[in-house]
Amino acid sequence: MVKIFVVDNGGQWTHREWRTLRDLEVDTKIVPNTISFENLIKENIDGLVLSGGTPRIGLEDDLGNSGEYLQKANFPILGICAGHQFMGRFFGGLVAPSKVPEFGKVELILLKQDSLFEGVPEKSIVWESHNDEVSHLPPNFEALAKSENCKIQAMKHKSKSIYGVQFHPEVEHTEYGEQIFINFVKICER
Amino acid sequence: MFKAERFIDEAVAKLKEEVHGKALIAFSGGVDSTVCAALVNKAIGKQLIAVHVDTGYMRKNESKNVKKLMEKMGLNYRFIDASKEYYKDLKGVEDPEKKRKIIGEKFIRIFEKVADKEKIEYLVQGTIAPDWIESGGQLRDTIKSHHNVGGLPEKMKLKLVEPLRDLYKDEVRKVARSLNLTVSERQPFPGPGLAIRIIGEATPERTEIVREACYIVENEIESAVEKGLMEMPWQYFAVLLPVKSVGVQGDRRAYGYVIAVRAVHSIDAMTCAYSKIPHEVIDKISTRITNSLKDKINRIVYDVTNKPPSTVEWE
Repeated sequence: MVKIFVVDNGGQWTHREWRTLRDLEVDTKIVPNTISFENLIKENIDGLVLSGGTPRIGLEDDLGNSGEYLQKANFPILGICAGHQFMGRFFGGLVAPSKVPEFGKVELILLKQDSLFEGVPEKSIVWESHNDEVSHLPPNFEALAKSENCKIQAMKHKSKSIYGVQFHPEVEHTEYGEQIFINFVKICER
Repeated sequence: MFKAERFIDEAVAKLKEEVHGKALIAFSGGVDSTVCAALVNKAIGKQLIAVHVDTGYMRKNESKNVKKLMEKMGLNYRFIDASKEYYKDLKGVEDPEKKRKIIGEKFIRIFEKVADKEKIEYLVQGTIAPDWIESGGQLRDTIKSHHNVGGLPEKMKLKLVEPLRDLYKDEVRKVARSLNLTVSERQPFPGPGLAIRIIGEATPERTEIVREACYIVENEIESAVEKGLMEMPWQYFAVLLPVKSVGVQGDRRAYGYVIAVRAVHSIDAMTCAYSKIPHEVIDKISTRITNSLKDKINRIVYDVTNKPPSTVEWE
């Protein structure tokens, strides 16, 4: 059984991420973002999800020990919303308040095929809830998806399995959300 | 995947370990508290006492029907009419968070009274995941204080038991179906009831207006679903707004309040899309509300916001 933990950054949908993974028969648990990397790897995890949360990454807020996980991990990581933004800033990109924040229904447009989006059509409906966004990609990252008002809806590290998504694949109203989780689980199984 | 049978076995076993002696369940008659009562009933039988409080903010005929349900389920129950006290405590209160907290605390004080009298140690609540997620605390922002979590007083004597804490409504419904409970498909109804469907002060007069409007919305939508005109929404109701607008009724100027009609699609209330109700159904709702509430209401609007950015209820 593949083991993927969810780091809780205080998001409304952290528990939904846990539920989606559990429904996919993944061995999963919600852990606080104050857990040390050392204690995290003692659990022998195959992957990690960094949840969203209230911190305004565009205004310099932090996400507990998330930086340490990103720096030291040798397993795949999926950052969602604030988790994605923090990832962007941590690796040297820029995060800023969105010119047009997005809430609720948005059309996602894929820019590039990638294993995270296998089985997801070029255009699909996703659900959003953000005030900030990654405005400039970090070096060594590429954009995988965009929307009308947000250039970087998904990004990936060029050589590691480190992914960030601005939208929320864990909620019911994101059309291919479960598929994206299935894909991430596969990436963690490798 | 979530398996109801496995959940029931595990929950009952855990309850047998956790609860020693008499327990009281806060019983609203909705899906969550009914499932909870059935589980605890399996675990401790007659040691469980169901308490239903009529807050005065219940839907039309609700408390009467809950009484019947408790009898049908063979529960050992107490029925408490506290409507006058609730109206008194909410007099002059306009802030939605204050309303929720007053209602939450009052529930507990009523339960404590029963518990004192009957020597009960445990309070069972049908709290589910969205309740504690939205109530916030520590890392999480408070979106709204659910009466059974964020509305709990800091000091309380009863020990809390919440067997459904990690479940969402669609999972609770699966458990309800597996237990053959008739309430399994009921739409959710908030604990603070109609008090949070009245924007501003929840007076008895305004409560009567929104009660009737909610009844009409439910009635029309359910009959439209029966006729195959639309899908059953997750939740559907009316909200009384404190805004007045000018109308004309019987050749005379009218100056009445506005009712907002809300219907949403969801499986777990964590995200929602507003329901695309056919115009003929909205039309019927609009005409029926304004005709039956006469000079009190002369305008109906339909809420077309998703969650986020809005929430299901207005307060």
